[in-house]
Amino acid sequence: MTIHDDIDNYLAADLHNELSEQEARALHTHLIECAACRKVHQENKIMNKVLEEKLAREKPDSAFEERMLAGFRNRIPQRTASIAKLIVDLMRLRSAQIAAVAALLLALVQVGRVITGEGKALSRDREYVALGQPAARPAQTSLPSVNEVGALSKSESRAKEADRLTAGKPFARSQVAAASAADQVETENKKLEPAEVERGIATQSNIPTAEEAGPNLAESPASPLANRKLVRNAQVEIEIANFDEAVQNITAFANEERGYVATTSSEKQANGKLKGEIVVKVLPETLDRFLQKIRGLGELKNQTLSTEDVTKAYFDTDARLKNARVMEQRLIDMLKTKTGKVSDLLQVEKELGRVREGIEKMQGELKYWDSRVQFATVTIALAEKDLEEPATFLVKERAQLALYAPDVDKVYNDIKDLASQKVQITNAQLDRDYSGRVSGRVGMLIAPEESDAVMGRVKGFGRVENFQRQTERIAQGGSGMSENARTKRDKVELNVTISREEQEQAFQQTSLQIRASSVDEKAKQLHALTEKQNGRVRGSSFSRDPNGGEFASVSLRVAMKNYPALMQSLNSLGKVENVSVQRQDRTGAEIDEANAPADISIQIYSQGNIVSSETGLMATLRHTLAQGATALMWSLRMIGVALAFLAPWAIAILAIAWIAKRIVQARRKL
Amino acid sequence: MMDANEREVYRAAIHGDRDAFEMIIHTHSRTVFAIAYGILQNREEAEDAVQDALIKAWKSRWRVRDPEKFPAWLCMIARHRARDVFRKRRTSPLSDEITEQLEAEAIDTTSVDRQLHSALAALPEIHRSALMLRYFEKMDYRTIENTLGLTNGALRGILGRALAAMRKQLRPALASFEQP
Repeated sequence: MTIHDDIDNYLAADLHNELSEQEARALHTHLIECAACRKVHQENKIMNKVLEEKLAREKPDSAFEERMLAGFRNRIPQRTASIAKLIVDLMRLRSAQIAAVAALLLALVQVGRVITGEGKALSRDREYVALGQPAARPAQTSLPSVNEVGALSKSESRAKEADRLTAGKPFARSQVAAASAADQVETENKKLEPAEVERGIATQSNIPTAEEAGPNLAESPASPLANRKLVRNAQVEIEIANFDEAVQNITAFANEERGYVATTSSEKQANGKLKGEIVVKVLPETLDRFLQKIRGLGELKNQTLSTEDVTKAYFDTDARLKNARVMEQRLIDMLKTKTGKVSDLLQVEKELGRVREGIEKMQGELKYWDSRVQFATVTIALAEKDLEEPATFLVKERAQLALYAPDVDKVYNDIKDLASQKVQITNAQLDRDYSGRVSGRVGMLIAPEESDAVMGRVKGFGRVENFQRQTERIAQGGSGMSENARTKRDKVELNVTISREEQEQAFQQTSLQIRASSVDEKAKQLHALTEKQNGRVRGSSFSRDPNGGEFASVSLRVAMKNYPALMQSLNSLGKVENVSVQRQDRTGAEIDEANAPADISIQIYSQGNIVSSETGLMATLRHTLAQGATALMWSLRMIGVALAFLAPWAIAILAIAWIAKRIVQARRKL
Repeated sequence: MMDANEREVYRAAIHGDRDAFEMIIHTHSRTVFAIAYGILQNREEAEDAVQDALIKAWKSRWRVRDPEKFPAWLCMIARHRARDVFRKRRTSPLSDEITEQLEAEAIDTTSVDRQLHSALAALPEIHRSALMLRYFEKMDYRTIENTLGLTNGALRGILGRALAAMRKQLRPALASFEQP
């Protein structure tokens, strides 16, 4: 580009002293040569001057910066060092922003964990750390732990107490525990005895109760536990070898322990074994020793010890008794003085009778309790060993038979005709469904001695497809094994199912192909061959292709015994190919294999005249193209899937970006 | 490239150092004024725009990631601000008043002055800004290019075209101006 063409730029740069030395020289040379450019140069110079003058007026004055600063200071006052401001400033730093986002995410995760209840204890620990009060936690945790220990020990001691009071061996244990408090117990006993004597009731029962209360007394000497009225009971279940011997032994033990046998009962089982119950009364203090002895008799199956506290009821009744006695005395006094009307005296007499009745009742009650307290009741359930042994065994036989016959009705009637005194038909049913298929079911009960003969005859009526026998031994009068039990044969239950031969599943299935030239004719020959071997053609079809290929498919059924001969004769029809044999061996059933049906499905075909269209150049080309098209379609589908995956995200991101942009623009305008 | 010292000042300003920012006001407000004036062609309005731009720059200083870009960013804010004012001037109902005022101003000055004014107004914005930076601040081409974000050597063409356009428009007036 020459200077002349670019004169505007050169002149402007010249005015502003921005030309290089070389350029300036070139411009001056040109200006000397070119009049037009010279004129422009002149004009430019004038305009530059005008412009300079004009803009010098518009130029900001010297105080401009000060004004700007003052304005700035006015509008943005010196920052007060507030924490909020500091945080806001901090948030403007990228690192701080990232940290804040991370903290937020962490907080969200923690919130999620708390909500879902996952790692609750963990988060609580963290909270403590975050609060900077590590001391608070041990204090809080130690408090409940102390409580827990306290509660535990309390409950434990309570359990022990209950143990001592109700079950276990309070007698033996209390003896040891009470040793230390023996003196106290003795004095208690002494105090108690006069009271008991006064009442005129046997007091021996108090000794064990006082001793039982021993440990409690040791803990709290002031408690009046020594006066307790406790009823002790025991239930024992023992298996023994001989019932009578055991009863004798128990009686002997009871006598030894100053007790007695209250009741005895026994029962004889069907298998000759005995079982029974003995109730023994023994002194409470000897109860444990007695139980120990009983154990030696046989195998202990179950033992329950129980203690019943009747103290309250006892002393209530006792108090009422005393009151009633006082009442009685007063009434007697009234009668003695005999003042007042006759009717009043009669009233008093009546009242006296009522009071005495009450007194007797209460005395009886107290006596009853005393007797129960005085003696512990031991209920012993005895059972001889092998109590459950069965007396007899019943052998039940059940048989299932599936028959295939050409004529179902006939076989059905034949079987029904078998009925006699020894053969009972329990149910017989002949079904004919809408498609004309007939099937029959016969159930019968046969006397055991006849069973084999009858089953043999039924089997002869048709082809046996399935025969199952089940024998079951049922124990009677007990369960389990027994050496001495008799075995009895029960009636045999026989269930027969009769179906038509057609429905029978083939025992063996064969499929093969025969290549032959004249298919139709060969098919006819095949029919003839089948007839010869006593087979039946079950279906046949014939078809011809447009390209001259012929197909005939024939399915036939033949008895297994004729199967090899038929297969042999097939070779005369043409070349036999693709022979596949499938055989289902049915296990656990008696099968008449020689007569079992075998299915053969035969395909006779001739090859077409035309060369197969599946080979050759065109076919290859076609295949290639088809596969190419498939691959293309597949890739399209994949692209579609990828788009479906990405499109929503892309749209969302674009939308967010757009909104952000709009916001920024809007803020700029403000 | 930028002086390390200068860069440090920008960085400090971005991080909220008031003194640094005031220093930037000192050194850059005239440049910013030139740009605003280039758009608005009015001293008072341009001054207000510069003031607003400075306030806004201080408030949103954290948006600048790279301290080196601080001056260019400041100029951009001023440009946006000035354009907004310019737009408002045209649409605001007070426009009559302003035009009257402008006319009154124009009457005071010579006809050359008025024509110069309208010739300037006819120029593209970037041309005007370049002219202002040159005539107000006597900046060299390189600095102007940097301030306006132009490529190296582009300014010569811009100023050349600007002066040529003005010259063509002012030719009659200039002729009369030459004679006396």
